[in-house]
Amino acid sequence: MYLVANINVEICASKSCKLCTQYCPEANTIQYSETMGTDRGFKYGTAYIAVDRCKGCALCVWVCDTMAKNNAIKMIMIDQLPLAAVTDNIRYEEKTTVAVLSNPMTVIGN
Amino acid sequence: MSLDYVKFSGGFDKFMPKEYRDMVEHGPFGKKISVSQMGSFKEILEEHPMCAGCAMTLFIRLAIIAFPNPEDTITVGTAGCGRLAISQAAIPFVYGNYGDQNGVASGLTRGLRLRFGDKPKDVVVMAGDGGTADIGFQQVLHSWFRKERFTTIMLDNEVYGNTGGQESGMTNRGAVLKMAPLGKKFEKMDMLQMAKVAGCAYVATVVPNNPRRVESVIKKAVLIAREVGSTYIQAYTSCNIEYAIPTDKVMEDAKTVENDRYQFTEYVSDEAKQYLTERYGYKDYLPKAAAPAAAISNKA
Repeated sequence: MYLVANINVEICASKSCKLCTQYCPEANTIQYSETMGTDRGFKYGTAYIAVDRCKGCALCVWVCDTMAKNNAIKMIMIDQLPLAAVTDNIRYEEKTTVAVLSNPMTVIGN
Repeated sequence: MSLDYVKFSGGFDKFMPKEYRDMVEHGPFGKKISVSQMGSFKEILEEHPMCAGCAMTLFIRLAIIAFPNPEDTITVGTAGCGRLAISQAAIPFVYGNYGDQNGVASGLTRGLRLRFGDKPKDVVVMAGDGGTADIGFQQVLHSWFRKERFTTIMLDNEVYGNTGGQESGMTNRGAVLKMAPLGKKFEKMDMLQMAKVAGCAYVATVVPNNPRRVESVIKKAVLIAREVGSTYIQAYTSCNIEYAIPTDKVMEDAKTVENDRYQFTEYVSDEAKQYLTERYGYKDYLPKAAAPAAAISNKA
C-alpha cells in the first residue's frame, strides 16, 4: 500500500484558492471541479485528486498548510480511501471537470 | 506542426485512448490558457517516470502551459532528467546527442523559417545544467553569439542527478555530493552574465515556486525569440534525491534558495522591449511619464 493525497471538500470548497492545482509536479493529478463543491451546498468548487496519478510526494500538503494555510490536504493510504477519482472516470467540461467517484482499489486493480 | 496534426482522421477518434481524446477536445491547442486554469483542462504533458516531488517536473509542467502556441512549438533536449518528462508531452521533441541541443535547435529554427516563412514556429531548448553549461557549453554560447532565434531554458538542479551525483559547472562551491565527496572547489558558473555578454535579447532567472512568474517569463522569452534574437532562462529546479530534500519540503527549499542566490532577475534588451510593446501590447516597458515639475520643486 502507499500514501496518496486526499482533499477535505468541506474546507477546500469554502476557500477555493486552487494553489495545489498549480504546484503539483504531476500533470492532471490535482483537478478542479465546480460541481463537486456547489452541488453539496458549498460556496465554491473543490480540488480533488486523480489517485492513480498521485506519486505521494506530499508537496501539495505543504502548499495547502504553509502557503494557503487551509490545512485541507492529508496523506492517506490508498486502501483507506472510501471513494476517489481516477483518470478514467474524469470528464472535462468548459472551465471545469466532473468526476464519478469510485473505490480506487477496485478500479486500479482492474 | 500545426493545429491539424493533433486532430483525428475521420472515423478514428473512437479508437484513440481517452487521454488523447481529452487532449484534442479539452486541451490547450489553439486556445489561450493560463496557470490559473490548471486542473480544469487537459494538459499536454502526460504521465512520466520522473521522481515524486521533483521541482524540475513542476517547472516543465508550467513551462509547457506557458508556451504561447503549443501547436506550433518544437522542444529540443539532451541527456538528463528533464527529457524523461519533456518527451512525454504531445509536442514534437528532438533528442540529440549529449550537448548538441543548441546546434540542433539552430538548424531546426533556420529550416522552419525557410519552410514556413514568417508564420511563427517556436523552438524551445530545455536542457539541464550539465547539457547547457558543461558538455553543451560551446554550442550554447556560439548559438547566442550568432543570435539564433530560439529560447534556451536551463533546468538547473546544480548536479548531474541522472548519473548519481557528480558536480557540474553550476554546482555551488563547497557542495558535497555523492560523486564529489571532497566538495566542489570552484565557483558556480555565471551563465547569466555570459548570456548578456553573448548578446541574448532576454535573460531571466526564475524559481518554480511562483507559477505566474514562470508563465510570464517563458511567454516573453518565446515571443522575443521569434524575431529579436536568442533568449535565455535559468530556472532553479532542485534535485531532491541528490540534495536529500524531503519531497514535502521541495517548495520550502525553492523559497529559501530564491531568497538566497536565485532572486528573480530579468534583463530585456531595448530592441526586445520595443518589440514586446509594439507587437504584443506589453505595457511594462513603455517609457515612464516624467514627474510633474511642481512635484519635483516641492520635494526640493
